[in-house]
Amino acid sequence: MWKATLKGLLAHKLRLALTAVAIVIGVTFVSGTFVLTDTLHTTFTTLFNGIYQHVDFEVRGKAAFTGQSGTAVRNPIPQSVGQTVSRVPGVEDAVGGVQGFAQLVAPDGKSVNTNGAPTLGVSFNPVSQMAALHLRSGTPPTTPHDVVIDAATATKYHFHIGDRVRVLFTGPPQTFTLTGIVRFGTANNLAGATIAAFDLPTAQTLFNRVGQYDAIDVLAKPGVNLAQLQRSIAQVLPHNVEVVTGQTVANENVNTINQAFLGFFSTALLVFAFISLFVGSFTIFNTFSIIVGQRTRELAMLRILGASRRQIFRSVLAEAAVVGLVASVVGLALGVLAAVGLEALLNAFNFGLPSGGLVFETRTVIVGLVVGIGVTVVSAVSPARRAVRIPPVAALSDHDVSATESSRRRVVVGSALGILGVVGLAVGLTAPAIQLVGLGAVGIFIAIGMLAPLVARPMASVIGRPLAAMFAMAGKLGRENSMRSPRRTAQTAAALMVGLALVSTIAVFGASLSRSATSSIDQAISANYIIISSSAAGGGNGEISASTTSAAGRVPGVTAASTVYTGQFLFRGSLSNLTAISANRLGQTIILRMDGGTGAPALAAGQLLVDTTTANSDHLTVGTSVPVKFAYTGNSHMRVGGIYKPNSLLGSYLVSDQFYRTHFDNPLPIAVLVRTTTGATPASTRAITAGLRAYPNLKIQTQAQFKQTQQKQVNQLLGLVYVLLLLAVLIALIGIVNTLMLSVFERTHEIGLLRAVGMRRRQIKAMIRSEAVILSVFGAVIGIVVGTGLGVALAESLKQQGITDIVVPGSNLVVFLIIAALLGLAAASWPARRAAKLDVLAAIASE
Amino acid sequence: MTLTDHASGPLSSQPAGPAARAVDLVKTYGKGGAAVHALAGLSIEFAEAEFTAIMGPSGSGKSTLMHCMAGLDSPTSGHVYIGDQAVDALDDTGLTKLRRDRLGFVFQSFNLVPTLTAAENITLPADLAGHTVDPAWFDFLVDQLAIRDRLTHRPTELSGGQQQRVACARALINRPDLIFADEPTGNLDSKSSGEMLAFLRRSVSEFGQTIAMVTHDPRGAAYADRVVFLADGAIVGELASPTADSILEQMKLLGT
Repeated sequence: MWKATLKGLLAHKLRLALTAVAIVIGVTFVSGTFVLTDTLHTTFTTLFNGIYQHVDFEVRGKAAFTGQSGTAVRNPIPQSVGQTVSRVPGVEDAVGGVQGFAQLVAPDGKSVNTNGAPTLGVSFNPVSQMAALHLRSGTPPTTPHDVVIDAATATKYHFHIGDRVRVLFTGPPQTFTLTGIVRFGTANNLAGATIAAFDLPTAQTLFNRVGQYDAIDVLAKPGVNLAQLQRSIAQVLPHNVEVVTGQTVANENVNTINQAFLGFFSTALLVFAFISLFVGSFTIFNTFSIIVGQRTRELAMLRILGASRRQIFRSVLAEAAVVGLVASVVGLALGVLAAVGLEALLNAFNFGLPSGGLVFETRTVIVGLVVGIGVTVVSAVSPARRAVRIPPVAALSDHDVSATESSRRRVVVGSALGILGVVGLAVGLTAPAIQLVGLGAVGIFIAIGMLAPLVARPMASVIGRPLAAMFAMAGKLGRENSMRSPRRTAQTAAALMVGLALVSTIAVFGASLSRSATSSIDQAISANYIIISSSAAGGGNGEISASTTSAAGRVPGVTAASTVYTGQFLFRGSLSNLTAISANRLGQTIILRMDGGTGAPALAAGQLLVDTTTANSDHLTVGTSVPVKFAYTGNSHMRVGGIYKPNSLLGSYLVSDQFYRTHFDNPLPIAVLVRTTTGATPASTRAITAGLRAYPNLKIQTQAQFKQTQQKQVNQLLGLVYVLLLLAVLIALIGIVNTLMLSVFERTHEIGLLRAVGMRRRQIKAMIRSEAVILSVFGAVIGIVVGTGLGVALAESLKQQGITDIVVPGSNLVVFLIIAALLGLAAASWPARRAAKLDVLAAIASE
Repeated sequence: MTLTDHASGPLSSQPAGPAARAVDLVKTYGKGGAAVHALAGLSIEFAEAEFTAIMGPSGSGKSTLMHCMAGLDSPTSGHVYIGDQAVDALDDTGLTKLRRDRLGFVFQSFNLVPTLTAAENITLPADLAGHTVDPAWFDFLVDQLAIRDRLTHRPTELSGGQQQRVACARALINRPDLIFADEPTGNLDSKSSGEMLAFLRRSVSEFGQTIAMVTHDPRGAAYADRVVFLADGAIVGELASPTADSILEQMKLLGT
């Protein structure tokens, strides 16, 4: 029996190879993701372990609370703690350091942008063996006019020792002399972050840390019991200061990078792996169904000769397993290549990854094989069950008696699954539970795949009508062929249906997101200009100097300049985002539509404003006192001074900029809102640009430009998602190619007959192409309808999160439909050529 | 190697009595007025080491009888026994084992698995059962059927006669109690037909194989020990030690 299975495989190798492409792509995603993230993880672990290799302990402020990205928010510690620690017996050396925001200005006058990675300013530790930064060339910074920078930035922006370097800080920009180039441990820079290092007193002044340290690195004397020393140090530390091992800090750093970057990255890639495997499973299901159908006679014959049901079942599954195995192995290999490529790509974006060998863990191989083989085998279960139901007598009867599942059962199961899917989706969206959303969507897709045969015949008939009109007999035959087996038509189109459903979901969601972003700008911002960091414009969280606002305020014609901050605080014990704006001339920069209390006066009085949604869910009214906690100033109570209508741009909690500055350590604005007497005119743009010339890191945009930027960002993200979803659509097309090839093969005799009675090659091609277009349009129409529904549901469920407008981008969806038809046409080219090339005599003789 | 070495092979474990029999077989297709009786209470016995030919016009129930006898189709009523095993008492697994271990089949369309070589097709029933093939028996069959030089070929590379001889070897490889042959020469030229029938004849007379063969061809039926005539699902005549002429005579008599 195994021999028969293997030989069967070899006989179908082309179509199985086509089927396997889906699995190859899916496993490539899975293994590529694992290899890349494992490699990066190992690289960062090595890097940080190297940096903290000689740091026995770090003394630092206790975490006030844990922020959103998993990083703890800590307060500075008094400089005197340094002396206290260094006097502890067993301590060889204790070196304090500070850090803060320092963005470099390149020699060409433009700011050095990092695409969201931090622009770090630190104090340089010139002597200690514990130093994280190592001088590669030049001399360390020793005067208040000296700076050293990281090698990657120096190389990329052509900085040379001796250059005058301008640096942007929280306060006004300053110019320094570049005295040296440093490396971060063994790396030229740290995951894209730029580093500017100053001597300690300069850094303390620049970063508002006079008399303070952010952390103290401690080196133990040789041979000292470390655990004991840690306890001794802890005893002399003031309240709110802690001592941890260097290893702990290294691990924390690695974890932060994992959570902030690798976690998101690998989740996104694995989602696409799942999508391609899911779409692929439809293709596999379809191919195996057709193979079983074609081999009905052969399988029945095996049954007559004594093959048991179990043997037939196993042989079909074994065939699937072998296909899955081969595809998984290829996918694993391609995944490694993809990881190498992605790593190179990250380095090309100045990511400055320290080099290290690829990490190929056993887990990657196991997961890749299990997923690849598992998906293939599971997809083949249903066709295998159908193979088992073939009665032995089918081998002997002249007509086709292949076992068919009753369509009634399919409808019942399909409907039930569909209802479950919709319920799962609805519950998942309202909960919200993303896994349930995914499961619900999967259920809906499978249900539609099961129910689609019901509408395949009438829909194929309608879609085929214009083709029949255009291509006369060829189009008519193509239409008839697509109607001949509604089940096969539906199964073939199902994969494309899923692909287009996902594309349409994203299109609807993206259009709604884009429209909501612009309408929330319209509703919340009355300023003419929005000034943000050019790093932020690229999608990062760039900060700008606090002195920007006063500089902008001095520009002639500017009537109001408001600083915007965002930060995190604990609101009734839960981590929340806080926005701060200038209460002064509030109405000129921000539109607050109040539902209760007052706006500007309450802000000016240091009170908290909350939006209506929060007020309702937390039962807050004007005058309520709520417990809050700030990392810098600790626990306190705030009075709710007003309740405003929700706006995604403003967030749910609002305070004045003055309040924010007193409650946050070294606050950095994220934006400055500017109002001019003349509105947004070229003249006022020139004036503001001139007034802010000292800050080349700023992006000065009119309100209209800001809106466009927001839309562009959404569209860029959508573009990326479309590219990845295109893979799913390509897998679906492979399914169509596969089915058409099989149809051509099955109808060899019939095609020969058509040729014999005078059909030309071109007409044969037109016939096959018509069928392909009908198949793909059928799948696309259902997919677009389902996807639109899913997109609307998704957008609707995110109303609280700021998606206020739901937009169905009709023209985009029509374009998708046309693209699907064209792709169908492309998919038909090979089968059509094959059909046209058939030798008439041989075709008729075959049977 | 002589034929007598193998004469005891397929029969050694058999109990006394007919190799197979059918009792009051009824097979009805459709219901009520539209009902068609493919078999109308037919009873028949196939004696051990006997070569029976079943003849009759299209629709007489020949194929239905054979399908029911082989457990491929279930009768509306009546019973089928292979040896003393009641076929209708078997579930799918039992039927599978019955076909695999005790029955052999030769069909009009040769029904070889296209992806397997001739040798692999021959050993397929044994492979399915997980039995090892008796190499002496395999060699004997291959030589008797003169297909040794075709063993590594695929069915598409074989002539019709060669394919049918491979199918014949496949039917015999497990030494079944009973071989059903459904128009085995229907697709063969007269020379190949003659060789095929001669081989079947010899397998009955020389090593005691039991064969039931459905055929249209009086010359083919003449190779049998007896001919059973069917019409409208019932036995309408029987002829022992037939010749082509006596069969034709009988057919004329029956108006078929």
